[in-house]
Amino acid sequence: MKLSSGMCPGLDENLLRSLRAADIRTVEDLVSSDIEDLAQKCSVSYKALFAIRRVLLAQNTAFPVSGADLYEELLSSTAILSTGNPSLDKLLDSGLYTGEITELTGGPGSGKSQVCFGVAVHIAYQLKQSVIYIDTTGGLTANRLLQMLQTETNNTDEQMEALQRIHTFRLFDVGALLDCLYGLGGGGLHKVCVGGGSVKALIVDSVSAVIAPLLGGKQNEGMSLMIQVAAALKTMAKDFSVAVLVTNHVTRSSSGEVQPGLGVSWSHVPRTRILLERVESGASGRRSATLIKSSRQACLIKEDFDLQWWSRAEGERGGETSGKRKLDETDT
Amino acid sequence: MCLYFNTPESNNESLLFARLEARRCLKDVEPRLFADDGGPDRGEVVEVYGPEGTGKTELLYHLLCRCVLPEAAGGLEVDVVFVDTDYSLDMFRLASVLDSGSAGSDDAVLRLCLSRLLVVRCSSSSQLLLTLHFLETTLSSRPRAALLLIDSISAFYWSDRSEGGASVAKQEEKLSRCSELLGRLLRDYRITIFATCHPIRRGSNGPPSSSEADRSHLCRAWQRLVTHRLVCSRQEAQHNPANGDEGSGEQRNWQVFTVHCSSWTGTKGSRVSSFRVTDGGVEFIWTPRPPPDLSAVL
Repeated sequence: MKLSSGMCPGLDENLLRSLRAADIRTVEDLVSSDIEDLAQKCSVSYKALFAIRRVLLAQNTAFPVSGADLYEELLSSTAILSTGNPSLDKLLDSGLYTGEITELTGGPGSGKSQVCFGVAVHIAYQLKQSVIYIDTTGGLTANRLLQMLQTETNNTDEQMEALQRIHTFRLFDVGALLDCLYGLGGGGLHKVCVGGGSVKALIVDSVSAVIAPLLGGKQNEGMSLMIQVAAALKTMAKDFSVAVLVTNHVTRSSSGEVQPGLGVSWSHVPRTRILLERVESGASGRRSATLIKSSRQACLIKEDFDLQWWSRAEGERGGETSGKRKLDETDT
Repeated sequence: MCLYFNTPESNNESLLFARLEARRCLKDVEPRLFADDGGPDRGEVVEVYGPEGTGKTELLYHLLCRCVLPEAAGGLEVDVVFVDTDYSLDMFRLASVLDSGSAGSDDAVLRLCLSRLLVVRCSSSSQLLLTLHFLETTLSSRPRAALLLIDSISAFYWSDRSEGGASVAKQEEKLSRCSELLGRLLRDYRITIFATCHPIRRGSNGPPSSSEADRSHLCRAWQRLVTHRLVCSRQEAQHNPANGDEGSGEQRNWQVFTVHCSSWTGTKGSRVSSFRVTDGGVEFIWTPRPPPDLSAVL
């Protein structure tokens, strides 16, 4: 970070010039250098320079927090959002956790977007919270959301209310995505909340569509942008207590097995990863979800579920679950 | 004129003593990981390297718990500073490992343990550098702090590489400075550092010691600091019948993780250990000790 006058009291043009002459241009240079030595070189008082160093440090460092305080804060602000589908909830250990990034990965047609629509509708209607939906593939239509809402309730007022809680952004490149995320992080979230219900979920469908084209080749820009997107998503999740759901494509590894895309550097970004696949036999709406990364459950648990779950009216859902569950869906 | 906090302990003399007083040696923090008596001594750095899903974070939580638990529960009662560059610290998981480590005692013990932990979050390598300078004062005012955990040291690799443009020296500059500063903190305060490192390309499935991809991609200054290296990998999930737990009769797929430890100081040696992750944390699987290396004695 470059030193500039006015950054802190006592840092005026004259001092800046003498510092530059001593080859000190950035805040890091100043903080790392020997103050006594520097004070002599620039003929300023040791006290003044030390005070400036202290202020700059205080302004720019991350402040340490006690583990106990952090734990208290998290206890009170973390929530678990049900996805609306009991099979998925079982895989996710009750649902999407706020403060974390969950990834849905799968090939084309595996139902990632459908699951995202269903989750958005469930959170907006049943849980009555706001959802931010960032669509980078152009697959989101208000009609589809309305269709899903119409199976939940016939009351058009309620439908409209729920639709209003889903805020959509349509972007197609990584620059726009970063701008959008930074904008939301810098106060945009409050503006987006209308009619009560804070933003509890952020869905990005899909994150690989904007990043994958930048990767590969000799340029480092792509990797750096991917890490920036990851950092922006994590900051949103942690600082605003939001559950982040992203979708990713799949690739084949050298041994032929299916693995999530975006490579090794993205793989530790999501806390939980679910792989969606089509089920060979059975009705067209059936998919299988496998838990491939989780910090809470043993991996590789598989659940079959029905993609049409969110589009079925309540009465029809009862018997449609996979064999493992016997409970009907209960409203949250 | 000195920088200090308004606590009863802070006065010039205690600052001086805080530097001189010996901090707890962590050689015995986890003897099952390191070769015979080869645990990290004061002033040493352990790098925990491995791709995603190989149990590095669980290992870190295991070490953390061992450090902050009270002596009655088998801990070392030292303060730990956790530098989180990845925004990936999972307090709930940590709390559940602590709970099972302290045999489910009350809330007060949990809070006491957590208060020995100090968490700092950094979002860029510049901020990391400035924060490490700031941490110097924290270390002076906390004579019990013996462990610095960094998760992870490679978080800013790509951003630094992109900012540095074409010059490798510029790309590595920030991490080099951080490493030099860490070196100074190690010498002056005699703490121990454990840092995780994520690889940048997929390794082969061969044994860790022979894999090219496991070589560190970080700058020389950091590599020079590292005295022990734990390379983590994951083995294929084993189908084991439930060993008498819960009696559910369900087949549990236990994921076994292996750690290959190489040390470059004191007793130069290596050790391979395996563990699995249960609800209560890391559980080591007993492996026969390698026979002593006689050629080292002769």
